[in-house]
Amino acid sequence: MTAPEKLLEVNHLKKYYPIRGGVFGRKVGEVKAVDDVSFTVRKGETLGIVGESGCGKSTTGRSILRLEEPTSGSITFEGEDLTSLSGEKMRRMRREIQMVFQDPFASLNPRKTAGLAIAEPLEVHGLGDRRERGEKVKELLSVVGLDPYHGERYPHQFSGGQRQRIGIARALAVQPKLIIADEPVSALDVSIQSQVLNLMEDLQEKYDLTYVFIAHDLSVVRHISDRVGVMYLGGMVELADRDELYDHPLHPYTQALLSAVPTPDPEAKRERIILSGDVPSPADPPSGCTFHTRCPHVMDICREIRPSFKNYGGNHFAACHLLEK
Amino acid sequence: MTKTLLEIEGFKMHFHTDKGVVKAVDGIDITVGEGEIVGLVGESGCGKSVTSLSVMGLVPTPPGKVEAGRIQLAGRNLTQLNAKDWRQVRGNDIAMIFQEPMTSLNPVFTIGSQMIEAIRQHRKVGKTEARERAEEALREVGISRKGILNEYPHQLSGGMRQRVMIAMAMVCEPKLLIADEPTTALDVTIQAQILDLMRRLNREKGTSILLITHDLGVVAEMCSRVVVMYAGQVVEETDVHTLFRDPKHPYTMGLLRSIPQLDKRSERLYSIPGNVPNPRKMPTGCRFAPRCEHVHEICLQSNPPLFEIAKEQHTSRCWLHDGEEKEETDRDRTREIVGS
Ligand SMILES: Nc1ncnc2c1ncn2[C@@H]1O[C@H](COP(=O)(O)OP(=O)(O)O)[C@@H](O)[C@H]1O
Ligand SMILES: Nc1ncnc2c1ncn2[C@@H]1O[C@H](COP(=O)(O)OP(=O)(O)O)[C@@H](O)[C@H]1O
Ligand SMILES: [Mg+2]
Ligand SMILES: [Mg+2]
Repeated sequence: MTAPEKLLEVNHLKKYYPIRGGVFGRKVGEVKAVDDVSFTVRKGETLGIVGESGCGKSTTGRSILRLEEPTSGSITFEGEDLTSLSGEKMRRMRREIQMVFQDPFASLNPRKTAGLAIAEPLEVHGLGDRRERGEKVKELLSVVGLDPYHGERYPHQFSGGQRQRIGIARALAVQPKLIIADEPVSALDVSIQSQVLNLMEDLQEKYDLTYVFIAHDLSVVRHISDRVGVMYLGGMVELADRDELYDHPLHPYTQALLSAVPTPDPEAKRERIILSGDVPSPADPPSGCTFHTRCPHVMDICREIRPSFKNYGGNHFAACHLLEK
Repeated sequence: MTKTLLEIEGFKMHFHTDKGVVKAVDGIDITVGEGEIVGLVGESGCGKSVTSLSVMGLVPTPPGKVEAGRIQLAGRNLTQLNAKDWRQVRGNDIAMIFQEPMTSLNPVFTIGSQMIEAIRQHRKVGKTEARERAEEALREVGISRKGILNEYPHQLSGGMRQRVMIAMAMVCEPKLLIADEPTTALDVTIQAQILDLMRRLNREKGTSILLITHDLGVVAEMCSRVVVMYAGQVVEETDVHTLFRDPKHPYTMGLLRSIPQLDKRSERLYSIPGNVPNPRKMPTGCRFAPRCEHVHEICLQSNPPLFEIAKEQHTSRCWLHDGEEKEETDRDRTREIVGS
């Protein structure tokens, strides 16, 4: 059996934001938004990343594209380390990796028609002439399920679901290999959410796309992903094949997170693990295992030593001292 | 049957804007019994918040105008209250928590002063005792942080602010709590805490809850009865078990089939085609007809009434039940004849 081809490899990624204070704006601390995260993405798969708000999902996604400059670590795409690429090379690389955002409205210029918005990445990368770009826009609109006349309209004339379709068309314009979708359906009603999820699945099949799908909704992530990583306070605490992760979660945080999701079935009876308190601040993360302040199984060692992220068989990775015994 | 606490009857709240009339709430009937938790679900823009704000007397008029119907709380008609009576009802009888609690907490006063004022409005107690009660209520909702009473709302996390709102509801013991998307902005682990507290409020203090949400998982877990709204109208109402097991309205069925499930994985999600109608240009017939897979000629011509289904306190606004209902009454008639 041949190992699946790696498209992207993230190694020991860290992104710290300085906290400045005082009259001279000196650095007085750091927000450890992403703190030593490693994972790979295989060609053609969807890797889901879940976790509560503020745990570093978006920063991880943005760092891959170097929309945020990583503090340290490496990001290897098709064998090339993106962190060491010069401006021009990185710009070319951005054709291969595109991003889809939660609020496509915010990323669309309100005075630009949808057609112009979709054509923009083509212009940026100098692809095609005016006429060819026009043709391409029509094709893209139809690919995402919109009509040609939609190209003449402005962002405010679209519903949330339609705006997300435009965001997707825009990302597809330059024929990327990898799409990083950051909460692409979080702002949509369920009936519209399922339309967009189905569209993303169809496009993946049609264009051989690889997705990093970031979301806080665990049911959505289960639906769309092949493998899923769980983040907590800047770290990846667990990563496994989808069904393995949902059916046999190893990390106490994953277990609590899954148990907290309300099931749309009034007959279902489940043990609920209710975690106390809020997620601590990444500016002052707890010592040792960052989850120890809320963990129902906390031991002495958890307060002192950060558990390492290990393979517990079948490529099921987790970082927890309980598992090391 | 429990005693009725809240009764919304034939209620219409329309907005008169420059661009036309928005029939945000267009003839709804909803009741909440004593001690009951009723869910109100539907997609954004279907009129859930306007309904909840109407019950609280918080819809700005104009542009809003009550076109028809009334809202009664324990037999008292709320649609005719003056400003002074409203303040009293809002303090004592009905409490509300919103999606963003910053809108219900005043940003310029400390948590302590707001809680103490609310308690003293409600009970004849001194400042010190009110303070003690506030602290006790905060402990009950899991906030034991020292000095919290001296903090301002913006210093608290979203989950904490929501817990403060519930703590206030706990001391004031309102008859009815209106919770409008109380956990939508929160993470699931925090949502679980808040839902748990609301359940306790309901069990321990007997507070009735009208829980507004678009999350059918939350509904399944919290509510005994569910009202489904679409485009300003109630389209289906039944007990929670029937709703999930045997939904009748094509919109409800579509919604239920659209949600990805945590414990089952379907290969492809069902999706309701199209979008909710523009509230200024409602379809003439059934408001769901343009998106419905069972659409018939009649659906495009006339908006169906709510049909009673099999007399189980289950109603559905769909012409598909037209024949069924006749059958039902026919059978009843036969039974009557046989019985007599
Ligand atoms: N530009 C920035 N400056 C300082 N802190 C930031 C910045 N961007 C994000 N953060 C912080 O980093 C943490 C992770 O944020 P983010 O990656 O957006 O989390 P998520 O997407 O999981 O909600 C948060 O605590 C956030 O406040
Ligand atoms: N003050 C207002 N003026 C005009 N239209 C309004 C006003 N408030 C709400 N609406 C409209 O009423 C409809 C129902 O809104 P709302 O009750 O907020 O929906 P939801 O079900 O999402 O809570 C929407 O079309 C909304 O735009
Ligand atoms: Mg984010
Ligand atoms: Mg609302």
